[in-house]
Amino acid sequence: MKTILALCLFLASTLASATNYTLWINGRAGSGANGTPGDYNDFSYWGSSSIPAGVNKKAVNWDGRSSIASQSVRIRDALDCFCTGNNWCYIATYSAGDLLTGYTLANYGGSVRQPKNANPNANGVCGASGAPDQTGWNIKWVRVAAGAAGGSELSDIGAWTTSEPLVQDLKTSTSRAMYNHNVTRNIWFYMYAGARGTAYSFVLPGQDDEVVAYHSSGGVAGNAGRSLCNPGDWFCDDLRLGTETNQGGSSKWSLHSVQFRDDGEDYNHYGEGNWAGIIGVMRGAVVSSAQ
Amino acid sequence: MAIAAALALWFGRGEPDAAPQAAATPPPAGPQFFGAVTDDGGLPMPGERDERRRQLLERVQLTDHTYCSYLEGSRYPMESRPVAQNPDQVYPNQSIQEANPMRVAGGGANNAVLLQTSQSHVYLAAGEAAAFSLRAVDSQGRTLPIVITAAKAQGMTYGASRPTPQVAVPFVDDGGGADPVAGDGAYAGVLAPTEGGLAGFHGTIRTEVRYTAGGRSGFALFDVIYTPVLPAAWTGKVREAIEDGSLNFHLGLEVRQPGRYVVSGRVDDARGKPFAVATFNDVLQTGTREVKLAVFGKLLKDETPAMPLTLRDVEGYLLRENVDPDRLLVPRLQGRVHAGRTRSLEGVSDAEWQSEERSRYLAEYAKDRQAARAALGEFDPGQPVPPSACASPPAAGSAR
Repeated sequence: MKTILALCLFLASTLASATNYTLWINGRAGSGANGTPGDYNDFSYWGSSSIPAGVNKKAVNWDGRSSIASQSVRIRDALDCFCTGNNWCYIATYSAGDLLTGYTLANYGGSVRQPKNANPNANGVCGASGAPDQTGWNIKWVRVAAGAAGGSELSDIGAWTTSEPLVQDLKTSTSRAMYNHNVTRNIWFYMYAGARGTAYSFVLPGQDDEVVAYHSSGGVAGNAGRSLCNPGDWFCDDLRLGTETNQGGSSKWSLHSVQFRDDGEDYNHYGEGNWAGIIGVMRGAVVSSAQ
Repeated sequence: MAIAAALALWFGRGEPDAAPQAAATPPPAGPQFFGAVTDDGGLPMPGERDERRRQLLERVQLTDHTYCSYLEGSRYPMESRPVAQNPDQVYPNQSIQEANPMRVAGGGANNAVLLQTSQSHVYLAAGEAAAFSLRAVDSQGRTLPIVITAAKAQGMTYGASRPTPQVAVPFVDDGGGADPVAGDGAYAGVLAPTEGGLAGFHGTIRTEVRYTAGGRSGFALFDVIYTPVLPAAWTGKVREAIEDGSLNFHLGLEVRQPGRYVVSGRVDDARGKPFAVATFNDVLQTGTREVKLAVFGKLLKDETPAMPLTLRDVEGYLLRENVDPDRLLVPRLQGRVHAGRTRSLEGVSDAEWQSEERSRYLAEYAKDRQAARAALGEFDPGQPVPPSACASPPAAGSAR
């Protein structure tokens, strides 16, 4: 009798328990290691998994090369696993992961979800928790390093032979037309924009981190090609902090706020498999606020 | 070569690095939006304690901002929002205009020449066409002579897929077709996939334009995503009604393929001033259905637009899960779709949007805010906790 009672109490406490998770959604696959899709403990893309990266961190790995549309299911699986029922999520994403996250929220953020039990199988899919269905997921905020939801001009100069589905999705005009970036379901996207870019300045307008220009990493709405810079450049409009309208009148997407602007031009795009570049700046903020 | 190098380096993180320590991340030099927390008085504290207090204060700010902005932003449902919250969605059929340094063949750019381009649409439904134009200017903004040497469109395929035919896209400066002014140095072309060898292609069609300007050869790429079949067709019937305290436009849709349809429309007031963006995102079965584009009651009450309202520029697609291309476009309804007749707000509600989703979010955000305030108060009982930006939070220890 005591055993049954104890079991009931345990089950009740399990069902009622609430856990916060920190999901890391990678960007485009480069020449370094990539995490295994479905393995939420594989942080190969980012760096050592022993590094603090927010409470109960999970790596939401996707292949980094296929189209946004075909990989959205990886994000939805993870959100279903860890961000439903009593569980809530902080999201940290990077570069093309911004496009993937925004696409998923805009298209599926209001869909009916079946809460899951946070116990994934090898494919990254969790079982049902038994809680009632809910609308959308439980997300506290999204932090974005080098966000590429506005595309990158490096895609615009792509050639037939080097093209891949993701590169085409990242063409600036395509990224910006792919979905309504203002539809975040009232969830904030905090943007971290790096400016240590030199090699591709002939392609990337304004300040850039060598892959993404401020018009994208700053969450700026409207057409691409807009030159935005750090304060002090007389020939280029300022990217303003927060949600403030930029110098020159361009505005940000709704619920997008520039949290960090790289005035010192200290941070480039590359994580180098070691949480480096602008990823490191965002990681610091995640560690202190994802608890 | 340069392009290949750029793409190879893209996100390249170099050789795998087994360093056990994360890259050193000194305090960022740039400004941080929530970072500029100032101590609001009190005696100087030792560094560590000061840092801890700063963190706790930041957390109070963040959680308060999260709660208050959600409370404010969720007064209206996502499906019915003010235009101010959709700055790039107001005129979806305006051409996409960009200006970039001339990109030269083989990589690199000619900064002495700026190429201005425009593209009418990115996504095309069966039967629709896209117009492109380009013009070269010098650093003073003067138009430079440009010669179009080739302009061809081709479907982008991958792996073992067969290449599609190449289709010529004539670019002209004769004042005809998509070119409004003859001889002004701006060339325009029209891609109409339905009319050529790309009629059955589903996916990205890239139009590559090669030209010479300023004595060098350059290129420009225009991508459109084309869907060769229509999953549904508008019936042409639109009705408006005040229902459940909101003003709804119901658009008839003959659904041929079932699934999740995402549709959006713009609503102007009687003076033609953009007022709201209305969205539909739901599953529709085959047959004659209605797409509801709602103007939420409280939005009407708060903004008091000049009545009646006009619905315009409706676009939508069938969202196909987990496949690429991910959508089948419904024909766009360009311009005025329905001139409303409702002049009175009688029956319109000023109640805020309520839902399980909203209650769930507000409860969690309130809990976080309360915990942050309690932690700061406990750490530093002698200092008042900063006031909230919105309604006073419940007392410490109380329920959500």
